[in-house]
Amino acid sequence: MAGKTIPHEVDPILLEVIRNKLDGIADEMEMTLVRSAFSVIVKEALDASASLFTVAGEPLAQSVAIPAHLSMLVPMVATILRNYPVETMQEGDAYLMNDPYDGASHLPDVAVVMPVFVEGRPIALSAALTHHQDIGGMTPASVPTNATEIFQEGLRIPPLRLLRDGQFDETLIALLKQNVRLPDVFMGDLNAQIACCSIGARRLKDLAETYGGNLLSALFADLLDRSERMVRNAIAGLPDGTYRHELKMDNDGVELDRRLTIKVTVVIAGEEITFDFTGTSPQARGPINAVPAGALGAGFFAIKAITDSSIPNNGGCFRPLHFELPEGSLVNPREPAPVSCRSVTLKAIVGCVLGALREAAPDRVPADASGELMLVHFGGRDESGKPYISSQLLAGGSGAGRHRDGTDVIETDVTNCMNVPTEALEMSAPVRVHSLRLRTDSGGAGTQRGGLGCEQTIEMLSGEATMTYRGERHFWVSPGHAGGSSGAAAAGWIDRNDGRREEMPSKMVTQVRRGDRVTIRTAGGAGYGEPKARAAAAVSADIENGKISQDVAAAVYGRS
Amino acid sequence: MTSESQYDIGIDIGGTFTDLVCRRPGEPMLTTKIMSTRKNPNEAVMQAVRYMVENWQIAPEDVGHFLHGTTVATNAVLERKGARLGLLTTAGFKDVLEIGRQMRQALYGIILEPETPVFLAEGKYRKEIPERVGSQGEVVTLLDEEAVRVAVRELVEAGVQAVAVCYLFSFQNPAHEARTREIIAEEFPDLMVSVSSEVDPAFREYERTVVTAFDAYMKPVIDRYMEQIESGLAEAGIASPLQVMQSRGGLSISAVARKRPVRLFMSGPAAGVIGGTIVGKMAGAQDLITVDIGGTSCDIALVDGGRPVIRSEGRIDGYTVRVPMVDVNAIGSGGGSIAWLDAGGGLRVGPESAGADPGPAAYGKGGEKPTVTDASLVLGYLNPSFFAGGTVGLDVEKARAAVQEKVANPLGLGLEEAALGIHRVVNTQMVEGIRLVSIRQGLDPRRFSLVALGGGGPIHATALARELKINCVVIPRYPGVLSAAGLLAAPIEHEVSTAFPAPLDQLTLPKLREALSDLDRQCAALMAHEGVPADQVGITYFADMWYLGQSYHLEVQIYLDDPDPLARLYDDFLKVHDRVYGYASKAPAGIVNLRTIHATTAEETLGEGAYVAGEGSAVKGERTIRVASEPAGIVASVYDRSKMQVGLRFDGPAIVEQADTTTVIEPGWSGEVAPDGNLVLSWTKGAN
Repeated sequence: MAGKTIPHEVDPILLEVIRNKLDGIADEMEMTLVRSAFSVIVKEALDASASLFTVAGEPLAQSVAIPAHLSMLVPMVATILRNYPVETMQEGDAYLMNDPYDGASHLPDVAVVMPVFVEGRPIALSAALTHHQDIGGMTPASVPTNATEIFQEGLRIPPLRLLRDGQFDETLIALLKQNVRLPDVFMGDLNAQIACCSIGARRLKDLAETYGGNLLSALFADLLDRSERMVRNAIAGLPDGTYRHELKMDNDGVELDRRLTIKVTVVIAGEEITFDFTGTSPQARGPINAVPAGALGAGFFAIKAITDSSIPNNGGCFRPLHFELPEGSLVNPREPAPVSCRSVTLKAIVGCVLGALREAAPDRVPADASGELMLVHFGGRDESGKPYISSQLLAGGSGAGRHRDGTDVIETDVTNCMNVPTEALEMSAPVRVHSLRLRTDSGGAGTQRGGLGCEQTIEMLSGEATMTYRGERHFWVSPGHAGGSSGAAAAGWIDRNDGRREEMPSKMVTQVRRGDRVTIRTAGGAGYGEPKARAAAAVSADIENGKISQDVAAAVYGRS
Repeated sequence: MTSESQYDIGIDIGGTFTDLVCRRPGEPMLTTKIMSTRKNPNEAVMQAVRYMVENWQIAPEDVGHFLHGTTVATNAVLERKGARLGLLTTAGFKDVLEIGRQMRQALYGIILEPETPVFLAEGKYRKEIPERVGSQGEVVTLLDEEAVRVAVRELVEAGVQAVAVCYLFSFQNPAHEARTREIIAEEFPDLMVSVSSEVDPAFREYERTVVTAFDAYMKPVIDRYMEQIESGLAEAGIASPLQVMQSRGGLSISAVARKRPVRLFMSGPAAGVIGGTIVGKMAGAQDLITVDIGGTSCDIALVDGGRPVIRSEGRIDGYTVRVPMVDVNAIGSGGGSIAWLDAGGGLRVGPESAGADPGPAAYGKGGEKPTVTDASLVLGYLNPSFFAGGTVGLDVEKARAAVQEKVANPLGLGLEEAALGIHRVVNTQMVEGIRLVSIRQGLDPRRFSLVALGGGGPIHATALARELKINCVVIPRYPGVLSAAGLLAAPIEHEVSTAFPAPLDQLTLPKLREALSDLDRQCAALMAHEGVPADQVGITYFADMWYLGQSYHLEVQIYLDDPDPLARLYDDFLKVHDRVYGYASKAPAGIVNLRTIHATTAEETLGEGAYVAGEGSAVKGERTIRVASEPAGIVASVYDRSKMQVGLRFDGPAIVEQADTTTVIEPGWSGEVAPDGNLVLSWTKGAN
């Protein structure tokens, strides 16, 4: 089949057949990756994704459980191709990397990339991205909120060859295992990534047996071109113009009193769109800097969210998007600025982009969401001396739309993590969870009410643990839309065993001991429209169901 | 299971039709379809009974078994017809039901909808009870009994008709839930109650709360429904007890089933898979993929080693409900799926469906969009004057016009080329769907046989099988009433499970035996209601297992008669892990849940007598069809299924017509009518 002539015009039916197959392969890869992983963060939070790439490094098909992963592999694959040109790759090779200053996003996200060979020639790349539970560095779980240099955040892996002839590079493996806290979990997750890539490779080879490598490569190119054309049409359907928006972030976890600004100017001109982040704060000392992969992902998410959802998702979609990312800023930091906690910044970036686009597409974008995904890690030793790391992720409320209330405690925009059940937390760490409740009155008031945040209290039952807390929206909340109010701010405190209460700033690393109780409150989503215009029946139902208090009903909604 | 002179009756209620089948051992099966009565489903059952008496002259006293597959549980949820429900939780956790796991299904959605079944119990119907059990089952805070009394009184005052109880770690220590149940019974003896340690004793409190709440929500509905049917049967003079199909594919007497309503969600589809399993076995195949293609969807299920694959949780109305059920997976491709062009000029099929109204363009009811069925007509697969046995006339010209204008012209393709394209695209979607279903179980579809069900299954069967590299396709004698037929051959089955967290290296065999015999006692008590002799009941044990530290688990069979059952269990776990996940390490593993299943032996046939075809020539004529391998068209013989004698062999290309479906046999396949009347198709063009 190798010498088969490529048809002048690609058969539209075959193209759609192949597209469905590629999506099926990506789904099968993702299924393998998530289900065979060992770490809680992959299994419960689905923080892993799988993709097929062209040999030029453009995504052909992606299966992502978290939108932040949309396109996140793109610069990583580019780096690997730059260091290991595809013609130097062999069948049985696999490569890995995690260095944010070379295309990755933060150190726990490790990419594995495997070339797919047909008749001795690479025709595609199969890739898996996994957030590993721990990659070394100054705190368990490798997301220290008080880091000031990337070197504190864990092991930096440049693009390296992981497998040759299907065999591990044992030197590399020994070095990796020596530098992570849970080597068995690390290796379990790495093996899952390899299994994922292998399945992608195997199925692409099957496909090539039927259709031939040359024909497939031609179809790949056409699929990307088609998606590009569709996104260009969609952008052309938005009104040309310049749209601006600005959000504040609490702090960087190190300089606690310095608020940070994310600012975007979105220019829609014909069928192209530019996201210019000029005016965004300079890079932070703390670890919330987002290397360019972050802003690219946020832009792609926003376009995908407001355009036709049936557009096949591949690298062609990204071609009409342009980014201006000022060097040395929060969205394009210089080495060795720390980056591990950049996901709070990603949420701010995408919130900001959506806020700007609300002006261009007012019916498709709701009032601002809580904008936070609270993350807390506990790392210590249990009574038998065995080390443990346990985590919780809690969402806030979503923003109200023009015709519906926001949703309570729901993951929004670029993140989509499950919370960790109380029973899972208590079985994996010496803690007792005392509550998980909706926060009455936390949803932004409006004709349509914002979604509520939640509150959780966790008590340490033994010994001592390092607690890493990463919140957001403690000090600044988005205003509501069209007369609606902002949602309640996030908050947190520790009731120490000796009776003292310590407020938690929006980011901190501290020691917690037996008897200490940590309480976390996530933020609410913003409201839409004047609260006094809210239907009386909806206000009554909210009171009955504990969503709002009598006082707020009277004072804000004007209920007599 | 039946004495020679008695009839077994199977009734399956679907959305549109209620299917009735009737069989006496050794006699041909009688079948019919009547319209379902959506508002009052038991009315359809009673109509079916009257039909049986009047048209088949079957005396009520001659009915040995009355078997029923029902959608009443699913409908109660879809129509929000369940009980007004109260929920009791551990203090601090009343909002677990509403918060859920906080994940959204619409990945790129920004205006979001709730993901949890809050409708089951809104905030005002949820009450917190001071009590707490720790992760090892130790009591941390004693149950506040007075608080239970007060809460339940308030809920009843508010109009609650049923109560669900879900406390933290009740799967480790059910004492507080059990005591709560007693207190509720003291206060309100008639109030229906479901407690989580009985419904689903496994970890993760949100999932356990949801399944327990659904159970309680449906209890009054199911109870009333069973009572109506039972009294109807009594009135009609049928003395045999009512038995209903459960989601796992086993029958249960109604007295037990009504106490466990959440196990009835997949009652109908499970019966279909059982029917497909039997038909496959009759053709000599133990590993099967059943594909049921209707108007809007394609339901896919797997049978591995003669046993339907069971999943540990399913989706009902978009909500994940953790209750074991036959693994039936729906994808949005069917005969009514609409073909359309996207903004990039690509040909797409579905998920939008023309449904039954207006239906495909060929129905002539105003539909102008081309569907898969319209493409089938253009390609010569369907006989316009013999669709649904001639009850629905098809307008070929309308089908051709729709495909021509909406697909062929804009793409610059010929009419037939476009129609074939629609089939290739929809078949690819179905093939990928089937692959995902089997790969999820770590099973390679190539070694399976395909059983085609529903009106649409046999049209696509050989094309799908080729792409999946499957060599054997079975078309049942009655693909349209296979769910009802499956009821007749299904085993009676009860299942009891419990959380049993134990690292394997700390577990002793006596401890395992003790736990299993405890489960056996509970299961035997359920089985006792069925009146089946003990020597006809087989017992199998299963453990849900994981590597310590993993949080997904796999079901592994336990063989207590093995020389070293624990070593065997570990080895088998590694094998299953390798099969499903592609690798297995020698890492320490543990048990999560234990399960016992007591079941009568599943039957190997549908129990009919020898199949006898009608008189006359089986060949009706011939017509040109177009398939992927012969896009320019090839002449196919057309057969009348009702006249195809046992042993008749024929080669594709061929078309087999019958009242409830049409089978397309592509070139390269040959067919044979098996002694039981099933059509067995084999790929004859050599190995894959």
